[in-house]
Amino acid sequence: MKLFKLAAKSAWNRKTSLSLAMISIAISIFLLMGVDKIRKEAKNTFLNTISQTDLIVGARSGPINLLLYSVFRIGNATNNVSYASYQDIIKMKSVKWSVPISLGDSHRGFRVMGTTQDFFRHYQYADSQQLKFLSGSAFNHIYDAVIGYDVAHQLKYSLGKQIILSHGIVSTKFSEHDDKPFRIVGILKKTGTPVDRTIHVSLSGIEAIHIGWQSGSRSSLSISAEQTQESSLKPKSITAFMLGLERKIDTFRLQRKINQFNKEPLLAIVPGSTLANLWQMVGSFEKILMTISTLVLLSGLMGLLTTLLSTLNERRREMAVLRAVGAHPYHIMILFSLEALFVVSSGCFFGVLSLYLIQILIQPLITELYGLHLAINFLDSEQFVILIIAVFLSLLLSLIPGYIAYKQSLTDGLTVKF
Amino acid sequence: MENPVIQLNDVHFSWSSHVAEIININQLTIAQGEHLFIQGSSGSGKTTLLNILTGINKPNFGSVQVLDVELNNLSSTQLDQFRVDHLGVIFQQFNLLPYLTLLENVQLPCWFSDKRMSRIDDLHQTSVNLLQELQIPKNLFGKSVNTLSVGQQQRVAVARALIGSPEIIIADEPTSALDTENRLKFLELLFYEADQQKSTIIFVSHDPYLAKYFSRVVEMSDINQVDLI
Repeated sequence: MKLFKLAAKSAWNRKTSLSLAMISIAISIFLLMGVDKIRKEAKNTFLNTISQTDLIVGARSGPINLLLYSVFRIGNATNNVSYASYQDIIKMKSVKWSVPISLGDSHRGFRVMGTTQDFFRHYQYADSQQLKFLSGSAFNHIYDAVIGYDVAHQLKYSLGKQIILSHGIVSTKFSEHDDKPFRIVGILKKTGTPVDRTIHVSLSGIEAIHIGWQSGSRSSLSISAEQTQESSLKPKSITAFMLGLERKIDTFRLQRKINQFNKEPLLAIVPGSTLANLWQMVGSFEKILMTISTLVLLSGLMGLLTTLLSTLNERRREMAVLRAVGAHPYHIMILFSLEALFVVSSGCFFGVLSLYLIQILIQPLITELYGLHLAINFLDSEQFVILIIAVFLSLLLSLIPGYIAYKQSLTDGLTVKF
Repeated sequence: MENPVIQLNDVHFSWSSHVAEIININQLTIAQGEHLFIQGSSGSGKTTLLNILTGINKPNFGSVQVLDVELNNLSSTQLDQFRVDHLGVIFQQFNLLPYLTLLENVQLPCWFSDKRMSRIDDLHQTSVNLLQELQIPKNLFGKSVNTLSVGQQQRVAVARALIGSPEIIIADEPTSALDTENRLKFLELLFYEADQQKSTIIFVSHDPYLAKYFSRVVEMSDINQVDLI
């Protein structure tokens, strides 16, 4: 206890250099914790792009390819799923709900997705959050469209706006469905998922704009929008579909059943595990970030070591006095360790404190800009481990000046003269 | 001699076997309550002798008994404890820790020695009394030692050496930074306080002027049988 008081008073006596060391440690802890937080939030958001969906089914290709085009709207399907097979599968008794997905068109760089109203009912992201409308409602008519937040924001679209869809991903004059314009009836709230960048229309809308098209180009026989309304718009095929099951336990049984589907080659994936696989491939940047932050922390600790070492000579007299009044050499080492402990733990404290302050400050901004709800949590076990390792390392490093001081105090004895 | 507190017998010391001996003392006995002045020029082995008496350096050969304890038989940790329990030490200068108050500086040995603490009823009162007797102005007690003059600092060092009534006070040229007037005043106070608690004083200095104030004077060159280079 007396040693504690001594160490505290001695450290206070050298508060300028020590607080500089403390600040550099606070900054590195802030950085490390911040990167850790961002990394976890990014991973969390990524893995929660889709939730509560048990299976995604598409034509047989690779699981990641299927996930990329069905959820992230990246790349293209190699083949379609026939509407008959879709109907067969959703009639299976373990299926609770289904959402068909029909891709292939775009509007000014944003992908168009044909689906049903079930999409707005069943698609969930993050912590089982449902899609919400910023304004308007789901589509009811063939030529109604519901756009994501980013689409509305970037193209400055509002309700009632008429838009022309293009065939394929690249818009050219020849591939525009300009004879059948769509009207925006709903704008979704920000979700932080690819939904924000998607234009949703009904399956029959997709069918309608492709009537009279063959092999990806317009036939010379044009059929007007009004005529199309009257003809039957039952789709022959869709790109993929999402399934929700009655009981989670049936997931793998149904997955196997679909993968062995006789009528056509299909692939069913469990989105959660495929997302995790994908994250492993794209998530290596988090390791690089963490490595850099760890190095910054190490350099902060080295700064502390330098500070402790640089004061050794001026503290020689102090150590001799302490030895004269009965301090053992190990007391001298403890003094150095306690000092390092003060500096690093207050560095950790201020680093974590500023992390929370900044999180509280930028939370509304993040929600507005990225649709991410930045959860302000208590430190998790991993972050605690980081803090403990930092303190432990500092104790370990403090043994170096401690040992030198110990050696000095042994040779100096009680009679330092300078 | 009655009640010897320190007995040296045939003590030899050198830093290594290849270099010349620094200390070769056949016999030195110091009695309880004595005021011993050890005089010697620089390099005569005064400091090494003090280091041997305080157990900082172990002799290569011979016996060092302090308060009937053979120092050679103690481990370094035991020596540290023995030193703080029984010895009060005053340096030439810079005796005090700048970041502690006067009172805390005086109380330091009691933080490390239960034995010295046990001889005191009220640590605060005892340290206040000591400082007052050593003529330190009361308004400085709670202040940092940086506000003190060198003479005042040395008197605070005396208070620290005396607190908890250690049997032996060891002073290594404590007056060398003081002027003549302060030197005498310092000695008077040191003697008065040490006598009050019957402590033995071992005072080392190169200054022959001080010798006449001591009851016993030992010339280093008389007891140390080494060839000085």
